[in-house]
Amino acid sequence: MSTAAPLPAHRLFSPARVGAIARNTLTELTRQKVFYLLLLFGLLLIGSSVLLVRFSFQDQFQMLKDISLGAMSIFGSLLAILATAAMLPRDIEERTLYTILAKPVPRVEYVLGKFLGIAGMLACALFLMGLLFLLILFVRERGVEAEMAASLSGDAAALAAQIETLRAQVFHPNLLAAGLTIFAKTCVLAALTLFVSTFATSQIFTVFIVTTAYFIGHFQATAREYWQAMGGAAWSKAFAGFVAILFPDLQIFNLVDEIAVGVAVPLALLGKTLVLGGFYVLIYLLAAQLVFAQKEL
Amino acid sequence: MLRRLLLALALLLLVGVVRLPFETALQAEQRAAGFHAARVGLDLRQRLGQTGFLAALSGCRAVVADLLCIEAYSAWERVEWGRLNWLFETASSLQPRALFIWEMASWHMGYNASRAAREDPRWKLEAQRRRAERQYLELSRGFLQRGIAALPNEPKLYELLGTLERDKFNDPLAASVAYGTGATLPGAKGYLRRFSAYCLAQVPGREVEAHARLRALYDLGPQEHLPTLLKEMRRLEEKLALPPEQRIYKDR
Amino acid sequence: MTPAISIRHLSKVFPVPFRRERVVAVEDLSLEVAPGQVYGLLGPNGSGKSTTMKMVLGLVPPTRGQVEVFGVDADRVESRVAVGFLPENPYFQKFLTGTETVAFFGRLAGVPKRDLRDRARELLRLVGLEEAADRRLSGYSKGMLQRIGLAQALVQEPRLLVLDEPTAGVDPAGSRDIKDLILKFKDRGITVLLCSHLLAQVQEICDRIGILHRGRLVCEGPLAELIEKRAQTELVLENAPAGLLAEIEAAVGRHEGARLLHRRHPQASLEEFFLTVTGDEKKP
Ligand SMILES: Nc1ncnc2c1ncn2[C@@H]1O[C@H](COP(=O)(O)OP(=O)(O)O)[C@@H](O)[C@H]1O
Ligand SMILES: [Mg+2]
Repeated sequence: MSTAAPLPAHRLFSPARVGAIARNTLTELTRQKVFYLLLLFGLLLIGSSVLLVRFSFQDQFQMLKDISLGAMSIFGSLLAILATAAMLPRDIEERTLYTILAKPVPRVEYVLGKFLGIAGMLACALFLMGLLFLLILFVRERGVEAEMAASLSGDAAALAAQIETLRAQVFHPNLLAAGLTIFAKTCVLAALTLFVSTFATSQIFTVFIVTTAYFIGHFQATAREYWQAMGGAAWSKAFAGFVAILFPDLQIFNLVDEIAVGVAVPLALLGKTLVLGGFYVLIYLLAAQLVFAQKEL
Repeated sequence: MLRRLLLALALLLLVGVVRLPFETALQAEQRAAGFHAARVGLDLRQRLGQTGFLAALSGCRAVVADLLCIEAYSAWERVEWGRLNWLFETASSLQPRALFIWEMASWHMGYNASRAAREDPRWKLEAQRRRAERQYLELSRGFLQRGIAALPNEPKLYELLGTLERDKFNDPLAASVAYGTGATLPGAKGYLRRFSAYCLAQVPGREVEAHARLRALYDLGPQEHLPTLLKEMRRLEEKLALPPEQRIYKDR
Repeated sequence: MTPAISIRHLSKVFPVPFRRERVVAVEDLSLEVAPGQVYGLLGPNGSGKSTTMKMVLGLVPPTRGQVEVFGVDADRVESRVAVGFLPENPYFQKFLTGTETVAFFGRLAGVPKRDLRDRARELLRLVGLEEAADRRLSGYSKGMLQRIGLAQALVQEPRLLVLDEPTAGVDPAGSRDIKDLILKFKDRGITVLLCSHLLAQVQEICDRIGILHRGRLVCEGPLAELIEKRAQTELVLENAPAGLLAEIEAAVGRHEGARLLHRRHPQASLEEFFLTVTGDEKKP
């Protein structure tokens, strides 16, 4: 351990370090109580499936899908905003940020690692919610199959055909596409939140800003149409344009409403939407790094 | 750090200018593929109230539509027909791609509300009853027509429209057209074509065409030789006084 | 030889948000720490010790001046390759176990994956946390956190350790363990920069000290030289009979200018006494 020896080699960017931070973040988030949200999700689904028994089973499946996908979208967004907003302030508060950055870790690796950790948590949460949803759907579907078998006893071919259609209706591969678009939206929100939290003075402030962006991001398409229809004044158009440029258009990731009722997503369209999501994430991470690199800790 | 923040915002604005055309194109493509189908105007906000409007726009459009349907179910139990219609109007404009909403709405209007109006003791005169019934039937047809506009490839809606025209409006020609259009769509049930022909057979002056269509069905094979088909063919053979070589019932 | 740390005309001014006034945390500080030295930075609360350390680690950019660590500018990430840091009141993610914590920081410091667990075990043994290794940090006491902080600082076998109040809030036994550890590092040739206001301890371990007051270095030099009272001499005798003492006093009286200032029984330090009574003394 002679001081005359040259310093050990250091890699400017190390995926191993990013991975370590991402895993650490993921562990932190999963060991926290965020997953109580899943419990809430399960209760919501079970509660609503009780509420839906008055409808025909086709309608029940339809509404169960709508509610599950809607809840996944909302819960995922909430999780993305709240968990991300708390992260940087906590690391500063607990001074773990000092300990991490006092190691040879470039700040960009910290930003990236944190984001990947959150994205991993969102993927887990959405996956589990999806699993729960499919499980409930499965149980209900088997119940309906049994009823069918009871009422249609005898004609085996007709029964098989009916069950075939039922299954095709209920378990459509499109549901995977729905999950992916929800994941893309939550990732965009998480990256945006991470960016805001690099300059926000408090967690509340971050949540406030991102929630505002969330609503503006969902409404701007509507507002734009509205203004265009009004043939509005030049300034209001300019303002709408400015809003459209500054805020993300989140409606573009909202394909679940139609996917739930069976509108097919062409693969190319899904691909483009996901690429757009990745692009947003990249830009917000870049912006976050720009600010965070100079942040006084 | 303030300088960096301004730099970051400048970056976002710059990127915004670049992405906007791409996003507009993508959104148009999504619309063309059937997404973002709701017409969300300001009237919807008045209908849904602030909370519902926010929820509907931020990723829960389908859920809000479903909640409206659930509420409609209660309105039905309380026999509030006006409210029922209002709820389905709102739900269907929120989620025009949902087949089940159009189905439910047209069924409630065309079969429950119209029947209730027909039997409404408040109306003294038969003419009044008929008018009230007719209003609900029109509403039902309106739902189906808007549903067809939103889901032009859905044979089920044509079937419902045909049945409504046949049974409630007593208009076999309109029924035949609706069934017939539905029959041409992919995934259509086989009986639509038959129903279309049966209805056409009831239209005075269209017997020749109707017979030709029934004959075409008959020629498909014995699985099509259903009692109604045979009965209608026999009736038309008689009515048109066809020569024996064009008849399937050659006995008389 | 390149100094382990070289600080030249370093200043740090913190702007206070929404106010005109500013906090000058460090002002025109220059000092060098030679390799292998244990350097103590002393000063009252708020005198700029922690800020100086953060600048050494590149956590805070200096307003003016320059810091180099082993000849590399502190704002470059490479300067931290061989540095271990124990922050003031360290606090780690409480959902991790001791081993996981050390392994995590090891990964960040570039310890190869296959060595991580062994390294973590070894360090936890070194800081005396063996039996708590698989417990979550949420159950750790303040002293244990301090030790885990020390373990993570040592994870990549650094050449320079920066310790911000390593014994703050630790009981005397723990505090002595930490002191012994620091002496051990010193034997291994590790350079240490530490700050503390427990002067007795600093006195025992530091080669050189600097005293900060309101951000300025008011005094700096080798510890022994700074506190040596050259004009005075202490004799400590054992089992000396009264006659011998009288003779010595008489002899002192015969010399012009020499004077006996006081005569007393030396006292054990309260720390030694405490450690004897609690019998919690660890290996020498
Ligand atoms: N991030 C910061 N923003 C503003 N002032 C700070 C900040 N960090 C430290 N200070 C101020 O700088 C001075 C020195 O602080 P510090 O270096 O923590 O002192 P010490 O460690 O010697 O107790 C204090 O007056 C403190 O209030
Ligand atoms: Mg301090």
